[in-house]
Amino acid sequence: MLRRIARSPKALWSLVALGVIVAAAIFGPSFWSASPTFGDFGNIMAFPSPEHPLGTDSLGRDTLARLLTGLRVTLVVALFVEVINVALGVTVGLLAAYYGGMIDQLLSRVTDLLFAFPGLLFAILIAGVFGPAVSETYGGMGRLMLTTGALALIGWPMMARYVRGMVLSLKSSQFAEAASAMGASDAYIMRNVLLRNAVGMVAVTATLDISGVIISEATLSLLGLGIQQPAASLGLMINDARSYIGTNFTQVLFPGLVIVALVLVFSFLGDGLRDVLDPKSR
Amino acid sequence: MLRFVTTRLLNMVFVLVGVSLLTFLVGHLAPGDPILILLGNNKSPELYAQIKAAYGLDRPFIEQFAKFAWRALHGDFGLSYAQQGQAVTDILARGVPVSLQIGGLALLCTLAVAVPLGTIAAVRSNTWFDNLIVSIALALYAVPNFILAPLLLSVDIALYRRGLPSLPVAGWGTPAHLVLPVLVYTLGSSAYLVRLTRNSVLEVLREDYVRTARAKGLSNRAVNARHVVRNSLIPIVTYVGPSVAFLVSGSFVIEYMFAIPGIGYLAVQSLYQRDFPVVQGITVSLAAAVVIMNLITDISYAILDPRVRYG
Repeated sequence: MLRRIARSPKALWSLVALGVIVAAAIFGPSFWSASPTFGDFGNIMAFPSPEHPLGTDSLGRDTLARLLTGLRVTLVVALFVEVINVALGVTVGLLAAYYGGMIDQLLSRVTDLLFAFPGLLFAILIAGVFGPAVSETYGGMGRLMLTTGALALIGWPMMARYVRGMVLSLKSSQFAEAASAMGASDAYIMRNVLLRNAVGMVAVTATLDISGVIISEATLSLLGLGIQQPAASLGLMINDARSYIGTNFTQVLFPGLVIVALVLVFSFLGDGLRDVLDPKSR
Repeated sequence: MLRFVTTRLLNMVFVLVGVSLLTFLVGHLAPGDPILILLGNNKSPELYAQIKAAYGLDRPFIEQFAKFAWRALHGDFGLSYAQQGQAVTDILARGVPVSLQIGGLALLCTLAVAVPLGTIAAVRSNTWFDNLIVSIALALYAVPNFILAPLLLSVDIALYRRGLPSLPVAGWGTPAHLVLPVLVYTLGSSAYLVRLTRNSVLEVLREDYVRTARAKGLSNRAVNARHVVRNSLIPIVTYVGPSVAFLVSGSFVIEYMFAIPGIGYLAVQSLYQRDFPVVQGITVSLAAAVVIMNLITDISYAILDPRVRYG
């Protein structure tokens, strides 16, 4: 598996880039010790300087420090949303495709319902309605969890639908038929035949999906409905800086570049993984 | 076909009832008392009870929902909390045309840009032109509209400072206000549609009937115009249908960033103000738009492609 990834330059390089980004998020704040919440009021909306390598925001807070903690927030939210999407999506999709009937009906009703809300609307609704109360009771961490939950709520049906389709086609394959003819139990077929063959493409889809989750989180925070000040989020930083775009565009540019880099890395990684894992393209 | 449409219509009713119930439930469960906010400093128990009764909030949940659903069927979403004395329907009626104008224009521009470019890129696949288009589309795809918008604005402001012709940075009213938001919209959605068109054309180019058309000696131009382009347009219909509903909602971000008083901006503002009747009105009408557009898309799909038959 690893050797196959090493042979695909696209997968390899995007994995390396992702490693660098994750390392920056984990170790960055301990190397760059400036506080992400301390306001240097003598240096407001400053351009990059030796003291503040990426400048400061409208409250004089160090942009590099905020970028590093914001990157942590973005990655944590994206990771948790995707884990929930995959866990729920695979379970529901697999059961719906394998057993059909009631659970399949239920899945398609739920997905129909959630797909009727255009774009982020339902996540915006949940995050916006419950946000202020959650912030008040549980603080920043609660708000982070609410944002994660709202995004997972609109994300998992897509994954379930995808897994359902894939399992349906695997179920009619000859090796699945052979397994059931040998008298394998439902649990065995689901785990060892269907899931094992689906896992690669689920990984590809989930990786590609992370790009979308990152953009959605940034959008929610930008609209003031996701992560709140004084915590940092890439979307929040862009919204904060866009009012000063005429005097200092670098404060939009830096968080923007980080988002673009993240989106590209996950897109390339997904494509690369597809080349490696998709049995059809091999 | 008739059976397909009937099942879909029944399903549509289910979805709309479900969406209304879900939206209503969210508003009902929302923490905080909207009436206390409405009262401001005038907190007398009599007035409180009076206002509560006026909004129907003293009734049990089921009764409130039934009333909401019945009224919604008649295009009435009740009264706004924040803009007192105004019907939600009137507020919506001011926002929808704004979002429609901006979204409709953006959709037309997207189609005009992306379909020809995607087609040419596919017909000349693996030439410098194709590579250029694909790279630009990928780059634009990775730049979300909330990054594109401020960067375009910084260019615009720089033009203004130098006394060169520039565009208004935000607001609504003149044709000049349309340019930047429509541009951001178009660049963003073209990035996706170019790739969709290119893939669709590439797929059609491999079809047997295209080979037959070439084999019988038709010129390249005739094959492309008559056989390739027309058939590759089918998947694009599936893009256009649902995106109409998305455009009505305006991209929330674009309307927010350019302070355009459309539906998307209104939805976010109403959430800030905890004006749930407006939020519910917007959500339910948008969901209705999505569901209707999806149905129309599916039907037109069957009409355009004779191979598609719904049981």
